[in-house]
Amino acid sequence: MTVEAESATDLVEHYFRHEYGRLVAQLANKIGLHHIELVEDAVQSALAAALDAWVAQGLPRDPGAWLYRVASNQLIGDLRRDSNRARILESAHHEEGEHDMVADAAFAGEVRDDLLRMLFVCCDDAIPRESRIVLALKILCGFSTAEIAHALFTTEANVHKRLQRGRGTLREASSDLVPPSLDAMRARLSSVHEVLYLLFNEGYLSTHAESAIRRELCDEAIRLGTLLAEHSVGAVPETYALLALMHFHAARLAARTDGTGGLLLLEEQDRGRWDQAQMRLGAAWLARSAEGDRFSRYHAEAGIAAEHCFAPSFRETRWKEIAKLYALLDRVAPSPLHALNRAVAVAEWQGPDEAIALLEGMTPPTWLERSYLWDAVLADLYRRAGHSSEFQRHRERALSAAPSDAIGDLLARRLAG
Amino acid sequence: MTQRTQKYLFLHHSQAGSTPPSDQKPSPEQMQAMLAKWNAWKDKFKDNIVDWGDKLKPGGKVVAGSAVSDGPFVEAKEIIGGFMIVSAASFEEAVVIAQEMPTGPGSRIEIREMAGAKM
Repeated sequence: MTVEAESATDLVEHYFRHEYGRLVAQLANKIGLHHIELVEDAVQSALAAALDAWVAQGLPRDPGAWLYRVASNQLIGDLRRDSNRARILESAHHEEGEHDMVADAAFAGEVRDDLLRMLFVCCDDAIPRESRIVLALKILCGFSTAEIAHALFTTEANVHKRLQRGRGTLREASSDLVPPSLDAMRARLSSVHEVLYLLFNEGYLSTHAESAIRRELCDEAIRLGTLLAEHSVGAVPETYALLALMHFHAARLAARTDGTGGLLLLEEQDRGRWDQAQMRLGAAWLARSAEGDRFSRYHAEAGIAAEHCFAPSFRETRWKEIAKLYALLDRVAPSPLHALNRAVAVAEWQGPDEAIALLEGMTPPTWLERSYLWDAVLADLYRRAGHSSEFQRHRERALSAAPSDAIGDLLARRLAG
Repeated sequence: MTQRTQKYLFLHHSQAGSTPPSDQKPSPEQMQAMLAKWNAWKDKFKDNIVDWGDKLKPGGKVVAGSAVSDGPFVEAKEIIGGFMIVSAASFEEAVVIAQEMPTGPGSRIEIREMAGAKM
């Protein structure tokens, strides 16, 4: 195949976006995180240069090496005043720039380590919690400020502010942030799990953003999680359980909405549309997650998701198992939401009266009492138990608290009088 | 097949000093989409493209006899950012080719028929 015969359609999906993450991680790990903005600018410029050159001349033989060379050349120019830094980069440039980088297995391992180190950097305790997820999306996943704002259903100004705060922390604390030692990475692992979990849920639970961008957030969380599981620091049962959970949810992602973007109830979903390949991956990670003696919240949630995935129908779901898993989840990660979900499972398993008894025995926090969820569940339970006045009261409260049209439509259908 | 005897110079005008701030620049995903669009355009009109041309760096010199000044003309609101030579059977066809170019907002293509003094 001649070079000229290749076209941009040969580039894999999200190639530019993922190369952005790869190049920023590599270059920032070489010259130091306090130069993170310079690095990001150089990578952005290299991609822009690639756009011009690759249209005019076709794809180079090794696009990844081409991008690295152009980005590092620009950085060398930018850093010329700081001769020591430039020398480090120049020597690294000679080592790596000359041969086929992408085909080199050792190099692939190095890239993975660089990306992973950057993931841990983004999840440092010193970085404000709300900045971690936007930093990961910007630096590791190559999304723009506008794309992040769109995906997280917030404003660009808000994303910008969170990014600036995160980058500021990186600059100030960069002496002890780079490169994080293996011990430091181990200590930060649960924060990394949390960020990946949030990233996935932003995609999975959001009812605002359009489905394409939601899918991308889920895919990115799975990509980074898989990377984590391949590294000695991240190869632990919690990581495997988190991956199992994400694959099981991803399997059902497309079937959760109807043709017009409206939400579908679990019992309304076409189980034939659930993604079998994702379910198999979920099952494989779930099996690996049982290796150790640790039982984390991710284990409980993956177990629940697995029960749903492998149930032949809504009616034939093993509700007793699910109720037990929610009880376990509530023990390892206490939340009244878990108790509420447990009540839903108990209603299917033992009947609505048992579920109502469970909920009446608890005092929900104000935020839950005011949300549509609490009233929607109670309305449904009271109707099934035959208490019509209680049903009407909770139904009206649930409908008026619906946070979006999609959820409002769902409730109106589910709680039709 | 259409006989293509005329050559046209495409001049790519863009706003002077319109380098967007960094968070307004196209995202990596958008750049990949632009690359795909440009390649599709290039493929569609490959028989028309005589010389792919180049982008032009900003700045320059204006020479008038012995007087040399910095250019381009400072009062210009637009600068020429690139050029390309295209062959087409008619001005109408050249216009269609330019219209289908996936250029960004705020940029304009000036088409000038080449006189063919060298042909």
